[in-house]
Amino acid sequence: MSSALLPKPQMRRLLARRMKFHLFGAFLVSLGCAALYKFGVAEPRKRAYAEFYKNYDPMKDFEVMRAAGVFESAPPK
Amino acid sequence: MANHSQLGFQDASSPIMEELVEFHDHALMVALAICALVLYLLTLMLMEKLSSNTVDAQEVELIWTILPAIVLVLLALPSLQILYMMDEIDEPDLTLKAIGHQWYWTYEYTDFKDLSFDSYMIPTTDLPSGHFRLLEVDHRIVIPMESPIRMIITADDVLHSWAVPTLGVKTDAIPGRLNQTSFITTRPGVFYGQCSEICGANHSYMPIVVESTPLKHFEAWSSLLSS
Repeated sequence: MSSALLPKPQMRRLLARRMKFHLFGAFLVSLGCAALYKFGVAEPRKRAYAEFYKNYDPMKDFEVMRAAGVFESAPPK
Repeated sequence: MANHSQLGFQDASSPIMEELVEFHDHALMVALAICALVLYLLTLMLMEKLSSNTVDAQEVELIWTILPAIVLVLLALPSLQILYMMDEIDEPDLTLKAIGHQWYWTYEYTDFKDLSFDSYMIPTTDLPSGHFRLLEVDHRIVIPMESPIRMIITADDVLHSWAVPTLGVKTDAIPGRLNQTSFITTRPGVFYGQCSEICGANHSYMPIVVESTPLKHFEAWSSLLSS
């Protein structure tokens, strides 16, 4: 076996390399989780509220609820 | 009101509650990011044999001081914005007093007419079919929708708290003190709440029910009651 054929392996700063790799990975994972929540939950919720109020007619909604007998102060006609 | 097994907030019925729901999403997102980071590093440490004879790490110390400070600022700014928004009182159309007793609420409308009534929970044995157990009351408060309402809250005996989650309102009722809060309902409906400060044996049995109706119907109701 000739040691001249084999390249010299990295001998130093192995832990530092691993830590750099995993710290970077950890930040990616955490930003990924935040992005997942933001675009999976927060943004759809904002859109849902905007959609609900875009063409919302409070009087029409009130009349529907009134007809269903929901209000004690405004019984059905 | 909340459905069974509901974990999240009730749908917002006031602009402040909409802001609070959005802020909660923001804060939870930040908390999720931090928890994911810590969990990743913890898993790594538990799975790998790590040894280090590091004694000096100025750069990483700087990073893990500045980064949390930035995170705190990102949380504080919207929080303070909403806090100041909640304190804005612009010309309420109606002032309503809520007085907590053991174990019922008294409501007073004294702006235009001298109107006052007690609001007791309807016991389960007397509850009509289809109504909500431990939430319905004999006399609901009625307010005009889309109008700024000022609530003055106090108590007659011990501490209570007037809370309606969908409106984003929770204010302590303290004997000898008048606390003020305000809200606007963005839509008509019936909104439920419960006493939120332990006040004795029937603390869980003094709910709050708010009916939000158009102004015309509110006026008709208040005329009927005060006649």
